[in-house]
Amino acid sequence: MASLSEEVLLVVKKVRQRKQDGTLYLMAERIAWGPEGKDRFTVSHLYADIRCQKISPDGKAKIQLQLVLHTGESTTFHFSNESSALKDRDAAKELLQQLLPKFKKKANKELEEKNRMLQEDPVLFQLYKDLVVSQVISADEFWANRLGDINNTDPAPYNNKQEVGISGAFLADIRPQTDGCNGLRYNLTADIIESIFRTYPAVKQKYSENVPHNLTEKEFWTRFFQSHYFHRDRINTGTQDIFSECAKQDEKGLKSMVVQGVKNPLVDLLSLEDKTLDEGYGVSSGPPSTSNLNRSVKESSNAAIIKRFNHHSAMVLAAGSRKGETPTDQASETSSTDGNSRDSDFFQPPVRLQEAIEYEDLQRKNRPKTVALNLKKSDRYAHGPVPLLSQHYTTSQDIINSVNHIRHEMVNYKPNLTQVLSSTAATSAIAALSPGGVLMVAGAQQAINQMVPTEVQGELKHLYAAAGELLRHFWSCFPVNTPFLEEKLTGHLEEMLQTAYSKFHIWQTRRMMRKT
Amino acid sequence: FRLNIDGLLVYFPYDYIYPEQYSYMLELKRTLDARGHGVLEMPSGTGKTISLLSLIVAYQKAFPLEVTKLIYCSRTVPEIEKVTQHQIKSLSCLTQQLPGSGPLLQKEPLCRADSLRFGKEVDGKCHSLTASYIRAQRHSDPNMPVCRFYEEFDAVGRQVPLPAGIYNLDDLKDFGRRKGWCPYYLARYSILHANIVVYSYHYLLDPKIADLVSKELAKNSVVVFDEAHNIDNVCIDSMSVNITRRTLDRCQTNVDTLQNTIQKIKETDAAKLKEEYRRLVEGLKEANVARETDIYLSNPVLPDEILKEAVPGTIRTAEHFVGFLRRFMEYLKSRLRVQHVVQESTPQFLKDIFDKVCIDRKPLRFCAERLQSLLRTLEIADIADFSAVTLISNFATLVSTYSQGFTIIIEPFEDRTPTIANPVLHFSCMDPSIAIKPVFQRFQSVVITSGTLSPLDIYPKILDFRPVTMASFTMTLARTCLCPLIVGRGNDQVALSSKFETREDFAVIRNYGNLLLEMSAIVPDGIVAFFTSYVYMENIVASWYEQGILENIQRNKLIFIETPDAAETSMALEKYQEACENGRGAILLSVARGKVSEGIDFVHHFGRAVIMFGVPYVYTQSRILKARLEYLRDQFQIRENDFLTFDAMRHAAQCVGRAIRGKTDYGLMIFADKRYARADKRGKLPRWIQEHINDGSLNLTVDEAIQLSKHFLRQMAQPFRQEDQLGLSLLTLEQLESEEMLQKISQIAHQT
Repeated sequence: MASLSEEVLLVVKKVRQRKQDGTLYLMAERIAWGPEGKDRFTVSHLYADIRCQKISPDGKAKIQLQLVLHTGESTTFHFSNESSALKDRDAAKELLQQLLPKFKKKANKELEEKNRMLQEDPVLFQLYKDLVVSQVISADEFWANRLGDINNTDPAPYNNKQEVGISGAFLADIRPQTDGCNGLRYNLTADIIESIFRTYPAVKQKYSENVPHNLTEKEFWTRFFQSHYFHRDRINTGTQDIFSECAKQDEKGLKSMVVQGVKNPLVDLLSLEDKTLDEGYGVSSGPPSTSNLNRSVKESSNAAIIKRFNHHSAMVLAAGSRKGETPTDQASETSSTDGNSRDSDFFQPPVRLQEAIEYEDLQRKNRPKTVALNLKKSDRYAHGPVPLLSQHYTTSQDIINSVNHIRHEMVNYKPNLTQVLSSTAATSAIAALSPGGVLMVAGAQQAINQMVPTEVQGELKHLYAAAGELLRHFWSCFPVNTPFLEEKLTGHLEEMLQTAYSKFHIWQTRRMMRKT
Repeated sequence: FRLNIDGLLVYFPYDYIYPEQYSYMLELKRTLDARGHGVLEMPSGTGKTISLLSLIVAYQKAFPLEVTKLIYCSRTVPEIEKVTQHQIKSLSCLTQQLPGSGPLLQKEPLCRADSLRFGKEVDGKCHSLTASYIRAQRHSDPNMPVCRFYEEFDAVGRQVPLPAGIYNLDDLKDFGRRKGWCPYYLARYSILHANIVVYSYHYLLDPKIADLVSKELAKNSVVVFDEAHNIDNVCIDSMSVNITRRTLDRCQTNVDTLQNTIQKIKETDAAKLKEEYRRLVEGLKEANVARETDIYLSNPVLPDEILKEAVPGTIRTAEHFVGFLRRFMEYLKSRLRVQHVVQESTPQFLKDIFDKVCIDRKPLRFCAERLQSLLRTLEIADIADFSAVTLISNFATLVSTYSQGFTIIIEPFEDRTPTIANPVLHFSCMDPSIAIKPVFQRFQSVVITSGTLSPLDIYPKILDFRPVTMASFTMTLARTCLCPLIVGRGNDQVALSSKFETREDFAVIRNYGNLLLEMSAIVPDGIVAFFTSYVYMENIVASWYEQGILENIQRNKLIFIETPDAAETSMALEKYQEACENGRGAILLSVARGKVSEGIDFVHHFGRAVIMFGVPYVYTQSRILKARLEYLRDQFQIRENDFLTFDAMRHAAQCVGRAIRGKTDYGLMIFADKRYARADKRGKLPRWIQEHINDGSLNLTVDEAIQLSKHFLRQMAQPFRQEDQLGLSLLTLEQLESEEMLQKISQIAHQT
């Protein structure tokens, strides 16, 4: 059995699956279950295939662990050891919790990548079909050249997956459910916990301080949901709450954010007003002298809610943008504590102002700058290289001379009305010069794309692209400085070109046949 | 390019022009020609500022003798910054087009005076270093501290013209630093010489500052008040005074200090006081002469009568005056000891003061001047400390000068907290025309302009002037990029309204929440929601929170909320923009009349929808407001309801207009109150919004509104190119000159 060589991390006995007793094995790369007394696994899942695990709620009679696969199937294990079922399950759960995220990311990234590239790029797909499927070139070779190419040139859009932000409503998503006897039950998933930690670093800190030693995980979260920290509208009742410190910390963070001020002058309300009214003047001046003392409890709780929303939103926003930065960056060090992270250049006042006053539609569009193609001899570009001998070059001096000559002649031109062309000669000359005439052949030549049917064009295009790809392979071998390249060049590349050529030939003859 | 506006060559710094800009310039030119005042309403984002500046600069160039200076007043600092940028642009355009005249123009720099926005402390310190007597002392005693910058400036700065290219304050500061000149005095000095001065309202309207900064501005200047929809409030603010017990206490210490200083001086330098006395006998002739020869902008605090007379004998000597102040103060203290609310007019107040402490009207009038003179004589350098006594003396002068337009209200406690004694004496101005009158009188043309001035006729009424042009411009649109919807009912047919009776109604609050929730699901990027007041918003947010509506909204967008603390709100705003920027989308809950509604623009994706919850009526129970309404009714025949509605609607329009800042922009405007559907409310919205409200968008339910919005947003999300606009709402020069277009343009301006 192949699994013998694998490292077994955990073995749990007395686990039922489909009403069959057996043993659960957690190995380095997969989870497996074998029925009692048999020497093979009937269930085996690679960790990479597992989307998530679910556990039965505490207090249920059956202690179960469910694995949900990416395919949507699920497998349920029932821990049936009377004495230690719960412990077993938790051990398995813990281990899985550690293992699963590791494999989540790895899940056959390359293949996915290739697949995605093929799907996104129809040309590439066609090329792949032409070259790989028809076995002109091996798939490995095709990709070796491609992937490296893409990864080197612009890795950003492909490799850097965008960080997933945090849903603004993640707290709202934790829907408490009643469990029938006037209690509340919260369902926490790893994602939600992650969200909470990312949004409220203070809670994370508390968690790492307390959880293994002072509290169990469950207790910690129970307290979290009971605390006024979560229910911010409840006014602080006790100070023994471990989260009261968090609240303070948040407050501090908010304050430091406020103190830091805003970088965009257009939204800075403090400097908005050119305030010149002295104290005592004005209709409704005078600070609200009775600010905190006599505000009713309700009012101040309302203010707390408002504050909390502002803070929450800011933190969610910061959590989203924080990830993208490099951790070594000094700026982000500070930013991660107060949720302020920003590209400061953008907010330079002049830039902003300029932006604010421009009426873009009043201006003429600036065309995107392009590099002009600088051709010394444009007809050479149009016609391709021509044998030099047959060409009769006129120098620019000649042209100028002849133009001068003609001009000179025109100045002295006198119409000689008696010696004009005959009318028939004139008509034929005009006919020859008008489109379709003998001298206007160039104009009459219809574009080739109208003469050739589109399917032929398509096929030709594909052949051309395939040939181009082969040529690319061919040229990429130069300079030949390794034996591998030499071998590739002399050996199968030539072969490939041969195949491609013969393919083209076949197509050509087939076309010919069909035509005739 | 160059435009021909009614015979005037205008250099316009863009390649294309909106038809309404052309029309606006025509009207503006007409105003300037007539040398009268004008009221012009043009939608925001149609390039008001740039057309204004281009035209006036061109006018200045064409008739340099008739219009020497443009004084451009705006409200907020960013606004001012923007104007300066515009200005640079239009000027640079001008110099490009006319290479010959370029240098000439640049020689006269543009400046901004908001460097005056120094803190009080800095002010006091500055004063203590630069006051003339200190400097005189220094001549004999070189060890005194001195402001190097000012000295430098005084020595050379005045003679040297400012070099070319200094356009805004930062330039000026730089320049000052290089030369070692005080930028503050440099700015003040250059105001007199600049062709175009851009600054905040207060420098012209607040008599205390106007006296310092603006009084020497030439008569034939053109004054423009941009964003002028709130100008009456600014006027009123600048003339109103509040006196609390704390003010009086501080005043008390001030007076004590004065007394001591007088004693000291008397012992050492009695001649000085005598000298002052003599001067006072001669009277304020100087000021009178100046006013008559029309050099200065007259100061409304300094009434005409007192200029012609000498300071009355009773307060001429320093001790007497201090004693007088003391008496006046005691009187005020006794007045503050009331147990119930008192409201009286100024004559009543004067009579009472005469009866109780025998203070006549006449010396009161001189109070402010007398105090200035005393402070000067006593050589008290740090005038900042004397703000309290200055306030009291200003109050004395005002109360004795104006028998109309002011009211005095003494409240022993705040309405919300009747148990805590916090007596306040409000001396409130009810007539905005008092503060602005000198401006109208002095300057040949005053233009009041804004995006939301409807109904136009009310402004001339309350500001008491006669405009030669009044026009409202519409927005020519290639696509209807604004979509005003009036949501009057919830899905359950409950009438939505923020009126007092239904304010606490849960059904209304729930439906409002529902509206926001549904909107948050369909509107991309940013949504801004305005509530009628802060308290109302707090209540609604709290009950939304309880009902779980906010949680559901959070699934769609992040929520940011304005708080009374400006710094916190700025942070929330910035985060809001960040959230809109990175595509997450956000909702900003804000308050009409708050700072956000007044000064922050929500361009493009920062505000794809504005929801106005309720009609933002002002808090009508305030006594000051009641007094003002009464005054308006008696004096100007404006009914209370008319004014309240006008005020509410201009704020609503202001809020809603925040989202549309240009023709390429688009946004929903949702008025969530059934009262908006009434003709009297709707009719007071600016014309450019009104004309897009059709019968189909009145009194909708939430669902209907969502349907319409979906449709609208889908349409607007299509790419919008310049070519689509061209010829309709965007013109080239050739198109502008065609006969047909001119015909069309003439319809844009809506004369009233």
